[in-house]
Amino acid sequence: MKVLAVHPGTYYHIESLEGPRYGGYFDEFVRPEDLGDVELDDFDVVLVPCRTPADRMAKNSAQLRAYLDKGGTIIATGESDSHLWLPGIRFTPQPTNFWWWLTPGADLGVRIADPNHPLFARLAQRDITWHLHGWFDAPDGAEVLAVNDDGKPILYIDGVTTKGRMVVTSLDPFYHHGSHFMPATTRFLDGFLPWMRTHLVRNSKAHERVAAL
Amino acid sequence: MSVLFVHSHYGEPGRGWQALADEGRLTIVRERELSPEHFATTQGIVTTTHLDQIGFMGWKDEIAALFTRGGSWFFNGHTLKPFVDGLSTYRPLGSPKRADLRLTRLFEHPIYQGIPQGDLEENKGVAGFYGRGHNPMPAGGTAVNGISAALLPIDWEWRLPGGGRMFSHAGNDLGGMGADAGHSGVLTRRIAAWAAGEI
Repeated sequence: MKVLAVHPGTYYHIESLEGPRYGGYFDEFVRPEDLGDVELDDFDVVLVPCRTPADRMAKNSAQLRAYLDKGGTIIATGESDSHLWLPGIRFTPQPTNFWWWLTPGADLGVRIADPNHPLFARLAQRDITWHLHGWFDAPDGAEVLAVNDDGKPILYIDGVTTKGRMVVTSLDPFYHHGSHFMPATTRFLDGFLPWMRTHLVRNSKAHERVAAL
Repeated sequence: MSVLFVHSHYGEPGRGWQALADEGRLTIVRERELSPEHFATTQGIVTTTHLDQIGFMGWKDEIAALFTRGGSWFFNGHTLKPFVDGLSTYRPLGSPKRADLRLTRLFEHPIYQGIPQGDLEENKGVAGFYGRGHNPMPAGGTAVNGISAALLPIDWEWRLPGGGRMFSHAGNDLGGMGADAGHSGVLTRRIAAWAAGEI
């Protein structure tokens, strides 16, 4: 199992990717500008963290597509405009309400859509709830894992657009964890990254259902 | 000589920065398009929380030269890389409670003139947006604002021994703070004026 993380270099990326809490989950880092020099087929997973500037990824889109078509897995987290550099992604941004929780009894509306998915053996609903940046129109056949208050996908796995897998979310845990701001994002990564290592091995179907394990 | 605003994130720069550029008060440059000439011809630079710190380390010599000839750098964010000798790694508050996020003015700096620090402490009633830790202040620096009862220097100005000056704001971009009290546009203009050496 080898994971390549794209490293855009901000303070929150340095803290999240290199810090002691999660640094061990990544085998190698690559700068977006150097992706073309890397043989992606050597990796089970290519992870692109939150707030990676899309203009630094766009020139790599053909390389990423080729990797996916050979069975690779790409994880793209929020605020990275992944629809601009990954295939088949349709994204609708939404204004972010950072203050929803100030209202007593308020509910952001985020829901786990597929409770039997192995990811949710490690994550509870409160671990995917901090705020919203937008939703996706996931393709038919994609596994929708979490939705917003309108039932729109905010976290899904697309195994149909290419021969590989795309784990796509509008959640932005690396940004907030790396900013030391928003404990739910740390809980999210505490569950998500171990799941990534154990369930996203190349050419494995292990991610699909608990029952399949 | 003008001020250089280093635009690091994808998308448009903030409206306040764009307005200053439109007025000819500063130049906005995408971080990836920076050149040695940019550093050599500017009086001061402003960087944001989205700065590619790994990439910016490649400009360490140019930054040193900027300081040596008396230039300024306004830095927003957490120092995770040693751009300048004397800087140390950001230190977050550990699981801060509301009282730990209390801000205290320690020095009447011209950027903050007439702006009570309390106006910047909360954003729509929530504390923590301003910052939640500090970049350790180099020896010889002046603490401008402190956070928590320990008055840790969340904002400081440092006049470097070899010339030049650096302002560190260890939080979200300062120009966006204080909108509730109408201060954000003011702060953006003051930051630009400070980087230009006017205040």
